[in-house]
Amino acid sequence: MSASVVARRGSRWLPEIIVVLLLVGLPFGFVAAFDTVDLLSRILVWGLFGIGFDLLFGYSGLLSFGQAAFFGTGGFMTAYLLTSHTLTNVWLAMLAGVVAAMLLGVLVGYLALRRVGLYFAMITLAFAQLSYFVEDSPLAHWTGGENGLPGVPPPTIEIGPLTFSFGSGWRTYALIATLFFLGYVLARFIVRSPVGAVLAGIRQNADRTAALGHSVPGYKLAVFVLAAAYAGLAGVLLGIFQSYMPPGAFSVDTSGQLVFQTVIGGVGTLLGPTVGAAVWLFLRDELQQIPGVGSLWMFILGAIFVLLVTLLRKGLYGTVAVWWQSHAVARVAATRSEPRPRAAVRPHPGAAQPTPPSAAGAAATPVLEARSVSKNFGGVHAVSKVSLTVPTGEIYAVIGPNGAGKTTFLRLLSGEMVPTGGRVLLRGHDITGQSVTAVNREGIAKSYQINQLFNDLTSRQNLRIAALGRHRGTLRFDVFRAADSIPEVEESIAGVIDELGLAAIADLPVATLPYGEKRRIELGLALATLPSVLLLDEPLAGLSPGERQDVIRLIRRLAKGRTIVLVEHDMDAVFALAARIMVMHLGRPLAEGTPAEIRRDAEVRRAYLGGLKAHVHA
Amino acid sequence: MNRTIKGRESRIATRRGILQTSIAAGVAGLLTPLAAPHVWAKTYPSMGTYPAGVKGKTAFAAGMFPLTGPYASLGGDERNGFLLAIEHLNNGSKVTEAVPSLSKGGGVLGKKLIFGVSDSQTLANPAVQAATRFIDDNNAIVMTGAISSAIAVALEALAQRKKVIYMGDITASDATTGKDCQRFGFRLMPDNYMFAQALAPVLTKQLGHNLKAAYLVPDYTFGTSLHTELTQAFAKYGWTSATEQLAPLGTTDFTSYLLNIANSGADVMFNETVGADEVTSTKQAVQFGITKKMKFVIPLLSPFIYKPMGPEVLGGMYGTMLWYWGMQEKNPLVKYFVADFHNKFHYMPRPTAAECYTCMIMWADAVERAGTFYPPEVIKMLESGYKVDTIIGKEWFRAEDHQGVSPVVVVQGKTKSEIHGPADNWKITDIVPGEELMQPLKDTGCRLPSTTAA
Amino acid sequence: MPPTAVILSQAFSGFAFGTLLALMSSGLTIIFGTLGFVNFAHGAMFMLGAYAAFLVLTYTHSYIAALAAGALILLVAAFVLERGLLRFFYVRPPEDQLLVTFGLSVMLIEGIRYFFGSDSQRVSPPSWGDGIVNFWGIFYYPLYRVEVIGIAAAFLLALYLLLYHTSVGLMVRAGIEDRLMVGLLGIDVRRMFLLVFAVGAMAAGVAGVIFAPLSAVIPDMGTPFLIQAFVVVVIGGLGSFGGAIVGGILVGELLSLTTAFNPDYSQVSIYLAMTLVLILRPRGLFGAVGRI
Repeated sequence: MSASVVARRGSRWLPEIIVVLLLVGLPFGFVAAFDTVDLLSRILVWGLFGIGFDLLFGYSGLLSFGQAAFFGTGGFMTAYLLTSHTLTNVWLAMLAGVVAAMLLGVLVGYLALRRVGLYFAMITLAFAQLSYFVEDSPLAHWTGGENGLPGVPPPTIEIGPLTFSFGSGWRTYALIATLFFLGYVLARFIVRSPVGAVLAGIRQNADRTAALGHSVPGYKLAVFVLAAAYAGLAGVLLGIFQSYMPPGAFSVDTSGQLVFQTVIGGVGTLLGPTVGAAVWLFLRDELQQIPGVGSLWMFILGAIFVLLVTLLRKGLYGTVAVWWQSHAVARVAATRSEPRPRAAVRPHPGAAQPTPPSAAGAAATPVLEARSVSKNFGGVHAVSKVSLTVPTGEIYAVIGPNGAGKTTFLRLLSGEMVPTGGRVLLRGHDITGQSVTAVNREGIAKSYQINQLFNDLTSRQNLRIAALGRHRGTLRFDVFRAADSIPEVEESIAGVIDELGLAAIADLPVATLPYGEKRRIELGLALATLPSVLLLDEPLAGLSPGERQDVIRLIRRLAKGRTIVLVEHDMDAVFALAARIMVMHLGRPLAEGTPAEIRRDAEVRRAYLGGLKAHVHA
Repeated sequence: MNRTIKGRESRIATRRGILQTSIAAGVAGLLTPLAAPHVWAKTYPSMGTYPAGVKGKTAFAAGMFPLTGPYASLGGDERNGFLLAIEHLNNGSKVTEAVPSLSKGGGVLGKKLIFGVSDSQTLANPAVQAATRFIDDNNAIVMTGAISSAIAVALEALAQRKKVIYMGDITASDATTGKDCQRFGFRLMPDNYMFAQALAPVLTKQLGHNLKAAYLVPDYTFGTSLHTELTQAFAKYGWTSATEQLAPLGTTDFTSYLLNIANSGADVMFNETVGADEVTSTKQAVQFGITKKMKFVIPLLSPFIYKPMGPEVLGGMYGTMLWYWGMQEKNPLVKYFVADFHNKFHYMPRPTAAECYTCMIMWADAVERAGTFYPPEVIKMLESGYKVDTIIGKEWFRAEDHQGVSPVVVVQGKTKSEIHGPADNWKITDIVPGEELMQPLKDTGCRLPSTTAA
Repeated sequence: MPPTAVILSQAFSGFAFGTLLALMSSGLTIIFGTLGFVNFAHGAMFMLGAYAAFLVLTYTHSYIAALAAGALILLVAAFVLERGLLRFFYVRPPEDQLLVTFGLSVMLIEGIRYFFGSDSQRVSPPSWGDGIVNFWGIFYYPLYRVEVIGIAAAFLLALYLLLYHTSVGLMVRAGIEDRLMVGLLGIDVRRMFLLVFAVGAMAAGVAGVIFAPLSAVIPDMGTPFLIQAFVVVVIGGLGSFGGAIVGGILVGELLSLTTAFNPDYSQVSIYLAMTLVLILRPRGLFGAVGRI
């Protein structure tokens, strides 16, 4: 093992090492400053709560205002089991609390995740409110109502004749710190695993992630339940730590405080919420001690929060983390000394072509077929009874004036929309109405008219999300491997990079790339799912003439062994590439045939070219 | 042989002298501690924050009061009472002079009182957090502050665990000295049971027997327990319930409940809500004409209800309080307290302030009489039944459950013509002594744990 | 089964409370529809209106002046907030707007507490609101509350006229449908945003003025209403004015009628309703499709 590999492997674990050092060293500092390690214990409990929330919000983009429901459920379940003496083994009771929180997470997640964005946030808020009111009245007998459950016994470990009890103080700190560390390590694994890559995809562009073959609902539910587990464990630890379970655990304030702390510390950093908790808890205590401040402490904290959200959106720790990372990226970029050729895509003679799953053996059987497909939106007939048949290996173009329904038609083929009439068949197999994820798994991939990329990631990471979908299936929880450690996936990526000439920009963030290169990555995403059918929606849109020529050549190459359906406005490209063309007008098929036939067609000229003399082109 | 008798005598004298001297020395030695009590500091073992917290020249008192949130107004009063108590204990005052053990001032047992105040936000968790910090960080030797019984119960439990005395000032739930009672926790103000017992005979005398009552009950533990106590107390006088409306937590519009009450045909309405809900529901009750249709009683009056309601509504209305500054007419201590409070804070003190103030006085007196801060001794003093002259009257705690034997002040709202100054809103109709109101011990469900139990 | 008189009076009560909720929620919904974010500070604005009423009524005893003051103070506050802070957030992801208004809400509430204290302030109904109305002997109701229905309805009507019968309103409604398009048409979208935010804030403020005589005027008074307004807006449809009205009345009725049967579940019932709507018809009763 070379030194650089060891160094790289070591640096991978650097955060964990730092965290361990802090967890071991900080308490001494806290005891020196505050005479107690309890404040640090509290910070870590909120930090653990926040790790789960950060996985949900920071990494997956799901802002939940209702995490308190799981925090409270976990805590109260454990507290109730112990105070009612239903269970005497504290560790079992703790486990029961976490499990209870997870079960609730499954229920709430199943219902809430059907919606996204604000609606999702509001459902979670509604559920949290529900749980709060339910805790207060109907279940008051078990939960103590507005008094909560006092007298939660601390856990004990018996080693031989000795009994160690975990009240507050050092032992509980050790317990909490250990669990925090384990939670952190697990989260780090997840973030660096293929699951983490998919979650990042979901955050940045959930629809595209689904179109690349991942079960977005499945992953979302998984991370939601995971966040619920973290929340539940935090609630359990709180109840045990202070021997008391407060009803406020369910309140909007708790959910809100979690959000506050995470934003203050930094979203998407895993440790941000812990930093935020430290700031919040510390400031809250200290501000009140300043004479004259008193009850204004909340005003001040609110003002700090607003300032941070406005100016330092990444949060305190987040800003540091991002700066550190960009430093690292700059170092990486600097080490890549090859100049970035802005040259066109060079065909790589020896490039391994990603083998499409289904061989082009049965050339006679049409691979893609649309039978009288229609789509209505209320009274608007966007697509009316369009049929086409595309044999394997053919480039088939769909053209038409604006508003003809081409893009909508393509969407019906890709599974993004469900036809209101007609059927779509792939290799004779009816795929009408299947989701975009299922359709992708069958071997159809689409490249979008407007770039649908994962803007915060590098080109390679973008392609990885696509390749992971192809090789791992729609839903898999392989959290203990790194995202870039699957050989077949890396091979696919390398192949696409070669094919499209992306080597020079492979490790640069996509957001920094010029439009032409972005367009290539857009194409690459579709390609990396190893489709047998490629749907290209205006692939030349926005490209310069030189770039266009490159892409045209590329498409021709890609057509070998694949079937391509192309929607384009660039007539030169269309006539150069397509074996057959269909013209759509006002949602209906106007004409179909070879390029020569279409060029001659009078109706087409009238509808499309406005009656002007068509220019004859080679 | 050649020893003269003198010599023997002298030897004997010397021996006697030595004996005498030793006896004298011994007696003197025994007597000296009595002469200098501080020297006679019997060394107590350490417990909780003793003796660490009082090693130096100061003693730390911790106060957790809601300064934000729906009960912030009451919390502010509590805090002010706390601050004034500390000032009086440190610098002496006419009020503390009335207590023999405190008459010399200069702090408690010669230690100047320093303090920490934290905002509990009316939530138990922040209160417990702050209290823990004051104990661990500042070695607080005593804690106080509540408003919500949930906070009191939580802080009591913390007190028992950390072995630091907690003086529960504002907590009305029976449970505080009932099923949740703690050796390290004390509750001064009357509990729900006592308020009910005080109100029933007074109201019956004023309004009559066998009346029909309509109740607006806040539907959480505190409210339902108050309700139980009220109905039981009034049942003795033949009162019956025409309707009981339970308003759940979070109700902003009480119309539905008030409509039912208005239609119930009751003679008297009891509004058992507290805090801001009390104001809202009373306002709404007035608008529904309920106050014109039937007599209106607020069993637990919140002091700040007068400003938003005014004499038009509250004139003639009955209620109970822990204390009212109007008591200064009979109790000179109250006069001094009111004067000092008004000087310092520029408004008339309200019951919550008086209660917290008195808690601190009771604690300080117990410490002085114990001669030490050692918690079990202080607790013993608090349990001893020694009656302290306070602004509330003669106060002491019942040993078996640490419930303060405190009076209930029954008041009636003044009509416009009866008002002679700002804050002159209530007239005292009765002060029912605590001894008559105590809940029978067997009913409290209190089992005080020992001082060493966690 | 409670007697008819009770049910009728509860139904009326629900209607009365519902119109107030509708007024407050209409502000929230047009802010969301046009500006695209949920105004977490809406409850604080409601509270500001109530405090404005308190101040004005203490010195002038004029209800009309109080209404005007409530609207005016919110107009100024909205202007300051929008120009000073919120307009920088239009390009940011929606969570950011949620977060910043959340923080602003805390600042407003605590700021008011600092100046006025936590005591409940005195706000009485106007003298022409004293008295009881007897509804055909079946039930009776405080006069002011009946008048509240009228006042709230008047403001809702004014809002309706503004939105549906003026060119400005047309632009606002178009903006709710398609903000980008409206901008591309050359309409000064920034000024429109400011206008909408101000109108929405004023709606909350006026609701606060109206409600002040009916409840305790404390700094925290707006929070329960904020959450209830959320429920209304979700049920009615985010961005839909009509939805806010229907949703408001629906929620009012839900809260009121459930107390006739089982008060324990009245608060729970509205969250259940909200959850049901979010699951079965997420765009709400009148919301536009595709807003998800």
